Amino acid sequence: MSSTFHGLQVAKRGMDAQQAALYTIGHNVSNANTSGYTRQRVSLETFPAYPAPGMNQTGTAGQIGMGVEASTVERIRDTFLDTQYRDETIKVGYWDARAGALEKMEEIMNEPTEDGLSAVFNQFFESIQDVASHPSEAGARSVMIERAEAVGDTFSYLSTSLKTIQGDLQNERDVAVTQVNSLLEQINNVNQQIQNVEPNGYLPNDLYDERDRLLDEISKFMPVSLEYTKSSGNASATSEGVVTVQLQTSQGPTTLLDGKTHQVNAISVTTNQDSYVTEIHIGDEIRNPESFPQGKLKGLIEASGYIDNSGNKTGVYASMIDDLDEMAYEFVNWFNDKHQQGVTLDGDNGVSFFNEISQKEGAATGIVIADKIKQNTNNIAAASGAAGTDRQGDGQNAQLLSQFRQKVLINSGNQAVSLDGFYQSVIGQMSVDAQQANRLKSNSETLQGAVEQRRQSTSAVSLDEEMTNMIQFQHAYNASARMVTMIDEMLDKIVNGLGTGGR
Amino acid sequence: MRVTQGMLAANSLKQISNSYNKLETLQNQLSTGKKITRPSDDPVVATKGMAYRSNLSEVNQYKRNLTEAQSWFDSSESGLEQVNSILQRTKELVVQGLNGTNESDDRQAIAREIEQLKLDYMQVGNTQVAGNYIFNGVNVGAPPISGNASGMIESNINLDPFSVEVSKGIQLRVNIHPENIFGQDAFELMNNVQTAFEQNDVNSLKDLSTQVDTQLSTLLAERSELGARSNRLELIENRLDSQEITATKMLSNNEDADIEKVITDLTVQESVHRAALGVGAQIIQPTLLDFLR
Repeated sequence: MSSTFHGLQVAKRGMDAQQAALYTIGHNVSNANTSGYTRQRVSLETFPAYPAPGMNQTGTAGQIGMGVEASTVERIRDTFLDTQYRDETIKVGYWDARAGALEKMEEIMNEPTEDGLSAVFNQFFESIQDVASHPSEAGARSVMIERAEAVGDTFSYLSTSLKTIQGDLQNERDVAVTQVNSLLEQINNVNQQIQNVEPNGYLPNDLYDERDRLLDEISKFMPVSLEYTKSSGNASATSEGVVTVQLQTSQGPTTLLDGKTHQVNAISVTTNQDSYVTEIHIGDEIRNPESFPQGKLKGLIEASGYIDNSGNKTGVYASMIDDLDEMAYEFVNWFNDKHQQGVTLDGDNGVSFFNEISQKEGAATGIVIADKIKQNTNNIAAASGAAGTDRQGDGQNAQLLSQFRQKVLINSGNQAVSLDGFYQSVIGQMSVDAQQANRLKSNSETLQGAVEQRRQSTSAVSLDEEMTNMIQFQHAYNASARMVTMIDEMLDKIVNGLGTGGR
Repeated sequence: MRVTQGMLAANSLKQISNSYNKLETLQNQLSTGKKITRPSDDPVVATKGMAYRSNLSEVNQYKRNLTEAQSWFDSSESGLEQVNSILQRTKELVVQGLNGTNESDDRQAIAREIEQLKLDYMQVGNTQVAGNYIFNGVNVGAPPISGNASGMIESNINLDPFSVEVSKGIQLRVNIHPENIFGQDAFELMNNVQTAFEQNDVNSLKDLSTQVDTQLSTLLAERSELGARSNRLELIENRLDSQEITATKMLSNNEDADIEKVITDLTVQESVHRAALGVGAQIIQPTLLDFLR
């Protein structure tokens, strides 16, 4: 036999549950544009029916429903999509950093145009040829010196600009490290808040959202593997627990954030005097830059330069700077050598055309025309053969010098290639690298977009849907309220209408 | 698939931004006239472009060198023409001197004219073009022929060829063989003619007359060779002209944008862009709210 007020209780539970659902809809609608927000649903369950079976159960018909209850408020989210999204984000971060670095490099190298290094080579060639066909003209000689200055200036400009950008990238790398550490701290905070809430049996959905958003962010910089540990106490079965964040390097995994002990192992990079990365510290552990996994941080480390396992400077900018130095070194030495074998307009043996460069490193910024040449154009050794004043019309040596683009040989791999060939292959390599970076960046962005689309499809708030649900729950609420009125009328009948016979 | 307003908005934005990217590429192509604006657009085009530019720069330089060679040929030719008239006149005078009717006084007068011709000859040998002695091999800074007060003429000629590079690895000799025309022999001959007239030595004049003939034929041979080389120069010039056209064309084919195609693409892209904007505006606006009372 159920209680007199049974119906009122059922109706009240109905109103409570519908109200909870309506408030959640309100929460969803308000957060429709919050980044990282996952739509929430109240799961409604029937309230345990009456009577409960037992030794002293009442002898009444069946079980009668006791109404509804809002059991949990859950996020609608697919963790598999999160994993996919983060995998793509890593690639986007890496290729984006690489493409950005190469894009700036392409702008500096400025090939093929009328202003790049190869155009300056062409002009220098022309000016030497002019000297070869007018060996005794001071004008042609002056032009050749100016063009040689332009070659030196261009080498120096390219090398200096590359180094400036490399410095910028090194700053960006350091900023990225700071960002990663700050993200780890934030995740740690959220972890702790979650750990405070969960043992009470609640689901801190909004904190989960915040943590997932932070994990998305950190995936831009590097791939992390996650491990969840359930909270103790009265934690709900659907609770997620605290997360432990690990970094997988080829030298073995290392923990960035320990969820159980709340310890953050901050990342820091050690660099040499040129700001090339030598080691990466994660807490107490040390990793080689080469073993660091792909991501924006790795992209920046590669672009700005690091010391590889065999102790060499490596990196996108480092190798271009090295190549320019190599070219400058071989060019100056060859040119000086051939120039010394010539004969000047005054009939003397030639001297060095450029100041001698003894080491490759920094050669590109050290191309300076020898004072003797600058002071007197006659000192350009255009003639060949034995010293003597009777060879003023001889341009044979100048002709030889003009072939510097073909005759200067540079070691590339196992073979020697010409200056022209070497420079073309350097530019070719750069363009292919940049093309690859751009292509893979756009590919991974497309994939990331597709995953994001699917994620949104699952988790994003649809206003129309919320409106529809709102109307649905509103009607249910109204109906429950009507139920109260109906029961009120029933009770009124009992209280005021019964036993009035014969009045 | 469940689609939300946010997804529609994000999608629209992405498509419009893609469309802007394409418009930017086409706009770049149109305003620069080039297919590529940075090497990574097409690495092959970029490196080929560098090679073609070097090629074109070489061809242009060789053409400039040709102009120099041409001016040497022209100056040498006019020098040889002058030598020709000097020798012809000498020949006339020698023939005239052989005539027994000439008085001793007449012969003296002829000797004076020969002396002048000799000095002329010497001057031709010292011709300068743009400050260079063109008949002294590579020693362009010094006059090849010098005369002293007593009328003795000394010829000291540099024998090295003055050559100019006119194509990759091809050197063209642009001066004549000055030792054949302005050698010591030539001036000895003129001296001998002068002395013969001064000393009224008719017998030796006969012998000298043949020597002048020999000198004239040497001159002719030299002029023919110069002419032949001039022809070769023209051939090379024609070849360089066609090389220049080829190189320019290759450069253009390699990197110039096909303007008609770009404009057509631009028009197509423009309408796609309009559609994207229009559809975006249509889709984003209405929600269920508009229809609920």
